[in-house]
Amino acid sequence: MTKTFKPARPIWCAGCGDFGVQQALENGMKALAIEPHEALVIAGIGCSGSLQNNIRCYGYHALHGRVLPTATGAKLANSKLAVIGVGGDGDGYAIGGGHLVHTLKRNPSITYIVMNNGTYGLTKGQASPTSPSGYGENVEEDLDPIMIGLSIPGSTFIARGYTGQPAQLLELTTAALDHAQSGRGFAFLEVLSPCVTYNDTYRAWRTDVYDLEQDADYDPSDRGAAFMRMLALREQGRLPIGLIYKGDRPALETLATNAEFPPPALQDIDPAKLAGKYAEALRSFM
Amino acid sequence: MSAERIRPELEDLNVIVSGQGGDGSLTVVNLLASVLRQNGMSVYTERDVLSRIKGGITAATLRAFTGERFTIGNNIDLLVAFDIAAVPKNLRQLNNNSIVLYDNSGGPLPDGALPPEVRAFGAPLSRQAVKTFRRDIYKNSISFGLIGRILGLPDETMRTSFTERFKRMGQQILRYNLDALEVGLGLADELGFTADQGLYRIQEIEAKPHMLITGNEAMAFGFLVAGGRFFAGYPITPSTDVMEWLIKWEPKFGGVVRQAEDELSAINMAIGAALTGTRTMVATCGPGLSLMQEGLGQLGMGEIPLVVVDAQRGGPSTGLPTKPEQSDLNLLVFGGHGDFPRIVLAPGTPEDCFYLTVDACNLAQRYQVPVFIASDQALSQNTATIDPIDLGRVTVDQGKRLDADDLAKLDTYKRYAFTEDGISPYTIPGTPNGMSLVTGNEHDEFGLVSAEPVNRQRMMDKRQQKMKTMLPELPRAGRYGDQDSKIGVIGIGMCFGVILEALDTLADRGIDVQYFQPRTLWPMLDETINFVNECEVVYVLDLNAGAQLAGLLLHEGADPDRIVNILHYDGTPIRSDAVVKFIAGDLAARDKVEEVA
Repeated sequence: MTKTFKPARPIWCAGCGDFGVQQALENGMKALAIEPHEALVIAGIGCSGSLQNNIRCYGYHALHGRVLPTATGAKLANSKLAVIGVGGDGDGYAIGGGHLVHTLKRNPSITYIVMNNGTYGLTKGQASPTSPSGYGENVEEDLDPIMIGLSIPGSTFIARGYTGQPAQLLELTTAALDHAQSGRGFAFLEVLSPCVTYNDTYRAWRTDVYDLEQDADYDPSDRGAAFMRMLALREQGRLPIGLIYKGDRPALETLATNAEFPPPALQDIDPAKLAGKYAEALRSFM
Repeated sequence: MSAERIRPELEDLNVIVSGQGGDGSLTVVNLLASVLRQNGMSVYTERDVLSRIKGGITAATLRAFTGERFTIGNNIDLLVAFDIAAVPKNLRQLNNNSIVLYDNSGGPLPDGALPPEVRAFGAPLSRQAVKTFRRDIYKNSISFGLIGRILGLPDETMRTSFTERFKRMGQQILRYNLDALEVGLGLADELGFTADQGLYRIQEIEAKPHMLITGNEAMAFGFLVAGGRFFAGYPITPSTDVMEWLIKWEPKFGGVVRQAEDELSAINMAIGAALTGTRTMVATCGPGLSLMQEGLGQLGMGEIPLVVVDAQRGGPSTGLPTKPEQSDLNLLVFGGHGDFPRIVLAPGTPEDCFYLTVDACNLAQRYQVPVFIASDQALSQNTATIDPIDLGRVTVDQGKRLDADDLAKLDTYKRYAFTEDGISPYTIPGTPNGMSLVTGNEHDEFGLVSAEPVNRQRMMDKRQQKMKTMLPELPRAGRYGDQDSKIGVIGIGMCFGVILEALDTLADRGIDVQYFQPRTLWPMLDETINFVNECEVVYVLDLNAGAQLAGLLLHEGADPDRIVNILHYDGTPIRSDAVVKFIAGDLAARDKVEEVA
């Protein structure tokens, strides 16, 4: 068998939450029998944006904040690929925040895992969009990406996991991958993944998290109720985890590609074979 | 016969139709173009619009001719003014033979509005439209009756072309427009332009098969035929037509076109698609290109192929959104942080736009680099008649792509393998055993992040080597005019047609000049620098204030003493008379030729 790159050893600090995310992703891919050559992991910039180096599949290291448009382009060009975006809260919610909103709106069948640690670890601890007011010099209210996701009518899968609860994290990761793999659209999974060096929240989050799966009344198909519940839990200082919302909308690739053709990446573009059809386009200018 | 002299044959006609934005000036010009094309004439049209949906004085200009021209002429033969304000705006282009037809619904032209030699005819176009059809817009069709009579078009030809044009829009609209045409013919009678009494005589030439196409359409079409199957864009004048054309045609070929939320997203969607091996393009202009800079460096570092169309408009900043300029050249050639290989191509006609886009798609994948196509608003949006494109000339070369069988023969696959030519074979995701890492970080041969100095230097050299490897494959210049002349002109984009016409005028005056049209701007080819250094004087026509094209020549070793800058940056499309005047004047000052009046 042809040898290719040997997955790298993670660059993360001992105890970093991202180890757990990587493990859940690898196990989730195995559970769904996603072949390494059929997966394209697109990573952002930051500590979490090195995950693609550590696993055996096709990997792309995107520009800072541009994981989602890149992943959307890749999925539309080859819908047969499992396209998986990974990155951090700075990458996804600050510099890439605009793209998150539009990707939720578009609903392409890609999985997006945000490793949220509430800080910019790689640049030594500056406040991120999810840092609470009072973190370092931060005076701004923190952003709640889950509520952003719920507020966008096109969203179809919103979940939050916690690396301190690995069994549930694997379940959620697998569910997110499955949502995208089965062509149901954009699977947005935020993972609370503490930075042991600049924002060690293990202790706080252990008590702050609120597991929605323990809540028998919670209905993840009711967008409005989910939003109200998120708001209420936020006001109580709690961090909801679990499957938060699951909806049903057509996926972007089913709307934006012509199903009569193979995906663009897999088409035969020999001009001789299409001469007749190209001539038709030419005649439109005559 | 004297009547023949009064009614010259239509050989080269320039008509400008001007009014308030939304008056429908373009409709009139398009109708006229289609009639004249059916009579075997070639046409070139230009639009002068403002960045607003309606209002302001706008114009559409048509040149119809029997030879080959890719520019509007220097003088206007017929000015049609739906608004009196359009008259002073176009005064500069009128000469003693010009005719002005204006809408006098709001009153006559003020005294002295025109030189006494210019013949002006007023007709109540708008008033008649509102009176007869209760819709001001029908003044277009009314005016057409007058225009047709002035130009000597047979009434029946006008009726036929109206039927052709409006039948798709339903019986009632067709009826109204035909009626409006008759109203116009009646007004023409009143002004003395009865049938067969026009000022010109239309020639009977058999119409050859031809295409009527803009540069933007030609680039979009070229991309499609080259196998381009993914386009991402963000609406921005004057490049949006590329996306519009592709939105219509790509789905018929299984291609995908996405309108992104901004240019950052557009370039990155394109990168994502390009990573899968799909031929991909984006089109934008200055402001969008500025936003895309981060993506361009990524393409260079990651060795990802992409075609980028830049339909340059007036800058800097928002600048002149609807006006031609060529002031992005420095950004195209030097933009982005760090050093990375790139190709910049510069077409001069719609036909050139088509073929260079095909070349761009092949070069991008062969060398795994971004390829820019430097167009400008005029080249991108003006329409021209060209011979039908020869689709048989199109070939597809996807470069060193490895499929599963190729991979099986390899012991080890490295995405960024060091090679003599600098080009590393690539696989596309989905290929078994071809797993690779593509990254904007400096990396080792496998694509793993590396800051190791020896590797860093070798990787930089490998990427830069591609700029040398590609040289023999890059599109060569166009050469025109007297190739023995030691007086040269260099210009790109819309300047192509302007310079060719200037060459003819100069030759008529006994000044022989040769024109060198560089079609590859970057990397600069030796032929370009040699051309400059073998001439005594070279006029470099730059549609920008910073002499950017000349600057590139100097950067690459052209002799500064031989270069004379012609700079044009007032937002108007430059005309050939300005070029002629400059060159003739400069040569006279150098005692190269006698002063020419």
